[in-house]
Amino acid sequence: MTKRNERNLFLWMFLGPSVALYSLFVLLPTINAFRYSLTRWDGLSPAVWVGLQNFARILDPKSLFYTALGHNIFLTLAPGIFILGMALLFAYLIHQRIKGARLFRITFFFPNVISSVAIAILWVLIYSTSAAGLINNVLKSVFHFKDAVPFTESSHLLWALVPMIVWSATGFYMVLFLAAMENIPDSFYEAARLDGASNGKIFWSITLPLMWDVLTTGIVFLIVGGLKFFDAIWVMENGRPSTSTHTLSSLMYAKVFEEYNIGFGTAIAVLLFLLVLIVTLVSRRLLQRERLEY
Amino acid sequence: MKSIGSFLKYALLIVYLIAVVAPMAWVFLTSAKSTQEFYKNPIGLPTLVTAPDTATFNAFAENYEKAWVGSNFSRYFVNSVIVVSISLILILLLGSMTAYALARFEFRGKNFLYALFLAGLLIPMQLILIPLFFQFSDMGEAMTEFFAPLARALGLGKLTISLHDSHFGLILIYVAASLPFTVFTLTAFFRTLPNELREASLMDGASEYRTFFQVMLPVGKAGLVTVAIFNFLGLWNEYLFGLVFLSDDRLKTLPLGLASISMQAQYKSDFGLLFAGLVIAMLPTLITYIFLQEQLTKGITAGAVKG
Repeated sequence: MTKRNERNLFLWMFLGPSVALYSLFVLLPTINAFRYSLTRWDGLSPAVWVGLQNFARILDPKSLFYTALGHNIFLTLAPGIFILGMALLFAYLIHQRIKGARLFRITFFFPNVISSVAIAILWVLIYSTSAAGLINNVLKSVFHFKDAVPFTESSHLLWALVPMIVWSATGFYMVLFLAAMENIPDSFYEAARLDGASNGKIFWSITLPLMWDVLTTGIVFLIVGGLKFFDAIWVMENGRPSTSTHTLSSLMYAKVFEEYNIGFGTAIAVLLFLLVLIVTLVSRRLLQRERLEY
Repeated sequence: MKSIGSFLKYALLIVYLIAVVAPMAWVFLTSAKSTQEFYKNPIGLPTLVTAPDTATFNAFAENYEKAWVGSNFSRYFVNSVIVVSISLILILLLGSMTAYALARFEFRGKNFLYALFLAGLLIPMQLILIPLFFQFSDMGEAMTEFFAPLARALGLGKLTISLHDSHFGLILIYVAASLPFTVFTLTAFFRTLPNELREASLMDGASEYRTFFQVMLPVGKAGLVTVAIFNFLGLWNEYLFGLVFLSDDRLKTLPLGLASISMQAQYKSDFGLLFAGLVIAMLPTLITYIFLQEQLTKGITAGAVKG
């Protein structure tokens, strides 16, 4: 065998299996998703080509799509503000080389390694009106509440999810921001201090601008995570979300696996993908323009 | 002034530390209470801590036995171990081979291939979920037909192959879906390794294969560990694909098993079982994290610095 053939064989051996798996189980279904979204299909009888009809129905103002999207946006914004604020604050405090920095950094990250299902069940128990409910037990024994508060009632479950999401996500963003802060050279701070800048001034005009790209990345993670939100809703609603709790993913799931409306469900997934794509591309553009080199 | 500021700083951090740890500590402590004790004292410390004796220890052990044996948590756990470990081995093997070829070789279509894997980072799992569901039905049928003559020849009768309700099917998806992140991270990593190592090994007469497996992989261990942790956490906790592709209770992974047990346990008010089950579900990743947190933090840091 010639040297050249040998090298080609090597490349085929090293690239072939993963390219095959990736094409068959990621790329092919991606293309099929776009195809399905243009049909009416119940999974059994032949699919009927309907063009953009599914999208027209989804984007109709009366459609549940906007309700679900609204819930996704709520579950991004409401916890997101707290997550960003707290993660920045904690990262800033820990960055000042305080005692126990390691302990705080390691412990704050704990919830991020627990599965979303376990977190959802943990918070079901925290909120529970049964004998288990941590908060209701405290309200009863310490504040003498007579009746248990039904925190996770479908009509206001989304509000109850806010503390859960903050609790489960803040640690990751803190570690991310802390890494960005540690990456800023000390000489910048020293120069600012020599000029007599206050701590607040240093944070706003040095720390924050120089970690802007990581902050943007963090915001993109938050938005994309919020758009895909599924697990906790599904677990807390026992697989039957109501119109006041559906998110895009759960709506897609219900349309496909309960109403056998596969074209419609897949069209929701396609729109979800486009939203994720737009958010990511827009943030890339913003970063290219505003990136500070140092 | 300075001391007030520093007090406030610690107060904030310690309050949040308690907020993070308290719910977890509550689950661990409550899992040690018998049902009677639970109703008498739902939020306080369990007697196992305050006044331990044989009876309270037995109640604690009974909760875990109920969860581990009586409610199939041992089976869910083993299923998770099987699915995640096989997936991880394949992801690391295939991902590192691909990343190495992309990082260290020049060939036609290389940039296109790299961009193709990169595009996968943007594809939400929700998009491929439904088409995969039907693709698996078609592939199962095709494979059944393909192997039918062989099955007849071997006297196996009618052999039905299905990718639904099969660990094999789930592993295929997990591996394929984890490749973009793995290839992206490892390609960047292999690019940082000195090329002299590879050249020296080839000069010594080692083949490309041997150079990769015996020289480059051991040197690249740090990068492999980082991707392994991220993939482990993601797959061990994965719920959506499991929900769609595994309906047989005997095949369920931990998150799926936990979700169904939790419904039954809440219905029966069996809180000992529920809290013990939660602990079983939480412990593996927590322990992994405590041992490997340094590498995990480094991984996030590297990502943050690259932006």
